[in-house]
Amino acid sequence: MLQVDLKKQYDAVIVGSGAAGGMAAYVLSSHGMQVLLLEAGKKLDINMELRSMEWPYEHPRRGDMPPDCRALAGREYAIRQPPYAVGSPYKHVYSYVEAGKGSDYAKDIVVDEKDNPYTGTEYAWVRARCLGGKTNIWGRLALRLSDYDFKAASRDGYGEDWPISYADIEPYYDKVDLTLGVSGHKENLPYLPDSIFQRSIRLNPAEVKLRRSLQKMDRVLTPYRAGVTTDGLKNNKYRSRCYGRGACDRRVGGCDIHAAFDSPTGLIFPALDTGNLAIRTNATVYEVTIDKDTGKASGVSFIDTDTGKTYTAKGKSVLLAASTLESARLQLLSKSRLYPNGIGNSSGLVGHYFCEHLMGPGVYGLDKELVGKPRTLDDGRPGGFYLARFRNLKERNPKFLRGYGFEGGSGVGMFPENAYSTPGFGSAYKKTVRDYAGAFIGMGGFGEVLPRYDNYVDIDPHVKDRWGVPVLRFHIKFGDNEKNMAEDMAASAREMFEAAGFEVLSVSRRILTPGFSIHELGTSRMGADPKKSVVNEFQQSHDVKNLLVVDGSTHVSASCQNPTWTIMALCWRSCDHLADEMKRGNV
Amino acid sequence: MSCEINRRDLIKLGAGAALAAPAAAFATTGRSEFFTPGEFATLDELTEILIPADSHSPGARAAKVAAYIDRSVAQAFENKERDDWRSGLKLVEELSHKMNHRAFMESTPGERVAIVAVMAKNETHPKTPEEVFFGKLKHATVWAYYTSEIGIHQEMEYKGNVMLQQFVGYELK
Repeated sequence: MLQVDLKKQYDAVIVGSGAAGGMAAYVLSSHGMQVLLLEAGKKLDINMELRSMEWPYEHPRRGDMPPDCRALAGREYAIRQPPYAVGSPYKHVYSYVEAGKGSDYAKDIVVDEKDNPYTGTEYAWVRARCLGGKTNIWGRLALRLSDYDFKAASRDGYGEDWPISYADIEPYYDKVDLTLGVSGHKENLPYLPDSIFQRSIRLNPAEVKLRRSLQKMDRVLTPYRAGVTTDGLKNNKYRSRCYGRGACDRRVGGCDIHAAFDSPTGLIFPALDTGNLAIRTNATVYEVTIDKDTGKASGVSFIDTDTGKTYTAKGKSVLLAASTLESARLQLLSKSRLYPNGIGNSSGLVGHYFCEHLMGPGVYGLDKELVGKPRTLDDGRPGGFYLARFRNLKERNPKFLRGYGFEGGSGVGMFPENAYSTPGFGSAYKKTVRDYAGAFIGMGGFGEVLPRYDNYVDIDPHVKDRWGVPVLRFHIKFGDNEKNMAEDMAASAREMFEAAGFEVLSVSRRILTPGFSIHELGTSRMGADPKKSVVNEFQQSHDVKNLLVVDGSTHVSASCQNPTWTIMALCWRSCDHLADEMKRGNV
Repeated sequence: MSCEINRRDLIKLGAGAALAAPAAAFATTGRSEFFTPGEFATLDELTEILIPADSHSPGARAAKVAAYIDRSVAQAFENKERDDWRSGLKLVEELSHKMNHRAFMESTPGERVAIVAVMAKNETHPKTPEEVFFGKLKHATVWAYYTSEIGIHQEMEYKGNVMLQQFVGYELK
């Protein structure tokens, strides 16, 4: 491993170590470039944090956080305004992601909202500051986008096309699949391209019933396409194949055998093995520095979060991979006489065209045929099912643009959730809980939120975080397209469950507060026109050639498919291009 | 080194016992951390009425549900949590006196179940303070029981959290 040397000029300085930062480190170090990776959070002994095979009764609080810590309740985001932790008597306050009393296994992974406030409109902002970021606890759904997404504007007239098409990114999706492993079942859908799949997850009886019923409606339910290596990876000594232990969704998830992709074992440790990568954690970058003569980025300034001291790191190129919202914050904070609106922001668009996935609508039902059946193991797999988009493919929906998909599953996990909702008590109650526990099926939608100029973030002029860095201010609201889509999601979810013969127990119609999907995208969108976009198709700043934004910031539209695999494929493509350009002396 | 000293100091100060799991301490001393012995006995009985031992599996008493609740309440950050439990158990006593003219634990098993049945009457839309307390009691009991060793392995016969060679389920053609 390369030692950190702040006197040295690295070929590349990368800010952030999640899916994008890890990929950038992996690709650039493989090209022989000298790379410095800066991560705002700690390097955790992640296996000791996750302890994913620990039984609840082996933990003194059954997995709950210490009493002086708490996680925000989901509803708090909708009834209060940020900053949500202000005034809380608790010592530490975490995001909703660890529902209930909050998970002891994730308290070191997600940020303390008291240290990291934000302001503005309601927003559920989940952040992980530690090596690997949110990839340590991500939902694992690894989907590709298609030209239905990249060329969506041409199809329906709204917004802008991406400057790339599926053919441009397909070889990089393939590389990501082969390097990291993805499990799935081939469906040959033009709007949800297949990956190079490893052994598929299997469906259980209610899920198969729903799949068959949907086939009659020309809709596709496929086993969860998990970014999990089910067959193993010959090229990676840090990761095991999946052994179906079923701890994936328990108390915020995370995989301590690393069958599920995470950035440290999937990308960063292999990158360290090249000998070309140095890492500094607890390094919160607050500014991209510039060379006043050339106007190029010269490196970054950062705060050591332990000591509060500030340092500068030097690089021939700077890659922002701090997450969609943090990368925008960093660009906006990097103001100078040369770049008065923030670096890379001559278009004035940094922070704008924010988009994501709306969540909330969904359905919960009962497959009566399964009541009283012998106990099966339903959660020994890294996911249930994915129901692919079906709206606005062939026909045009009169009420909304774009589409939505559903994630769902059936069966019982370690804890029978129906024990809370089953009325009564006594031996009969026990039996009812037992008999029904495996017979439920549910799914929730993920819908494309349109990118709009009016949905944006900027820097709050007054509020600062614990380290004195000005915080983000949100200006984000869902519009009519989202509301109409959500109504349709709830209605179609019910319709599909009824068609499959399930008894519908509840339908949720309410859209959750923006941010809930943790799929924030689009604050530095890519494009060919420097007036209408922030970066080019290789995620290079139009204004500053050696500055790249390689995370979800650059997505032109959200699609309804989960973004992680696309973030990594795009980043790989851009880093290949950067390495070429640097070799040619163009950067 | 410093770790050694800290540990020794703790033992010298007699704080070593605090390092042991209080649930285990309770099992040997029979002492609760928050509830009075009377309250604890009532709570223990209530949880067993909610989730009783039967031919399928042991119940809440065997799973030490009351001890878990006692400890959670003792450690709770907000005093309201302790107040709510204490006043809830008082409501049970009052209900018992009203219905049977004697304390809850002095009532017959059938009378106790009848008291719980009154509390559980409007479970989905609780109105009276007793009904509200039933919801709290049930939520805590359910969580503590179904996360216990008995709840997971004996009652629910959970088969997971083991290494599998292959996922269970249908293989699609």
